[in-house]
Amino acid sequence: MNKPKLIALLPFVLCTLALAADTQWVLQQCTLTYHVSHPLHQTDGISHAARGKGICHAGQCDFLIAVPVKSFDSGDSNRDLHMVQVTRGAEFPMVTVRTRLLESAGNDASIQADLEIQFAGQTAHYQHVPFQLTKQGADVRLSGTIPATLTDFKIEPPTLLTLPVKNEIPVRIEMTWHPTQ
Amino acid sequence: MKWKAPSRALPAAILVVSLVITPLLHAQQPDATLTGTVTSPSGGRIANSVVSVKNLNTGAASTTQTDSAGRFVVPNLASGDYEVSASTDGLNAVSRVTLAAHATQTVNLTLTTQSQPQTPAGNLPNAPSSSKTEPSLSDLGFTPEQTQANVKEQALLDKRTRMLKIHQKLGLITAAPLIATIVTSLGAGGKHTSNTDRTVHMVLGAVSSDLYFTSAYFAIRAPSIKGTSTRGPIRVHKALAWIHGPGMILTPILGALAYQQKNNGEKVHGIAAAHGPVAIVTAGAFGAALLSVSLKF
Repeated sequence: MNKPKLIALLPFVLCTLALAADTQWVLQQCTLTYHVSHPLHQTDGISHAARGKGICHAGQCDFLIAVPVKSFDSGDSNRDLHMVQVTRGAEFPMVTVRTRLLESAGNDASIQADLEIQFAGQTAHYQHVPFQLTKQGADVRLSGTIPATLTDFKIEPPTLLTLPVKNEIPVRIEMTWHPTQ
Repeated sequence: MKWKAPSRALPAAILVVSLVITPLLHAQQPDATLTGTVTSPSGGRIANSVVSVKNLNTGAASTTQTDSAGRFVVPNLASGDYEVSASTDGLNAVSRVTLAAHATQTVNLTLTTQSQPQTPAGNLPNAPSSSKTEPSLSDLGFTPEQTQANVKEQALLDKRTRMLKIHQKLGLITAAPLIATIVTSLGAGGKHTSNTDRTVHMVLGAVSSDLYFTSAYFAIRAPSIKGTSTRGPIRVHKALAWIHGPGMILTPILGALAYQQKNNGEKVHGIAAAHGPVAIVTAGAFGAALLSVSLKF
């Protein structure tokens, strides 16, 4: 085969290789913590029930993380039920986070991700959310904070003794991803 | 003139064309619309039914609700295969449709008692995704109970919150006449008290009791949510109700006895003498109950 023909076939060969090189990522461990501020006290709600997958294709990876709204524990059952009510957690029981990253981003020390979050029946987009990456063997550990607010999801601020909580509800994410084929 | 095949231009052209065409092949214009109705097994239209639309090609999903006439509209969808599902009060319906670009497709769902398709055994969290493009919620191995909307439970939660908000507000309002009752007790129980002092104290006590029991009604009648165990400071709040609840019943009874004895010119004696101590314990427990949900400990 002469050289021009080889060059002509190059894109098809690269496409074929890219298809063959599809990898998937599985969320091994994840801790999600929301923080709520009230004039009388501060509260953290924690969930370890998130599950996630990432599919890499043609140099890009699509990630999905989902967590049941009811899985968040703030240490008080009454507060947790109130949280589920105001976020319409029975009607919209899952929080999903989607993002698309370059496959090569796994080699960086930090990334900025564009996130699409579905929560409480609403979809919000967050641009350039910073995450720190550390490699642990084949696994990749990411941590970062999503600057979420109640108004992003049209959630009426919960009140305690008639005083509403602050609009800001930053969500801290710590997760470990494991590559699979 | 004899045509001579270019040695470098052809591969370059193929490269450019393939790079341009490849993304175009994947491009989808999200301009299709899905409409329909949700009806009960008897044929009645269902309002506020949660309708989920999932693109089977990409895994992208969106949710909407039917209007008062049981209709729903999901605009701006990409062409492709979709799973449309609706659920209300334990009834479900699932249908699959194929949407063409620019088209408006109608799907009418009739709810039945059949259970939703179960998560395939292979869709465990660590199993490979069936999709080659984007992972979908069904890839993650959640149970249908975890992912399905429960409109009935949401309605219960809404009712619970409404009632507990009233409970909270009335509880705070109750604190005002309760404090005034305690303050006026100083002038109602001594040797040199007037009938007016005692009456003012009694009226304030009666107002406190009425507000207290109205507030308690909303807490007791607020619906409980299945599968929820009581955890945290709310346990202390509930436990204290076993002290101030009986106290709020006993204190007015003892107070009425003491009031009668005083009006007869007698010294307060017998069981009526416990009115003061019981009232102090009751008011203390009530204050502690307020603090238990106000302060973090």
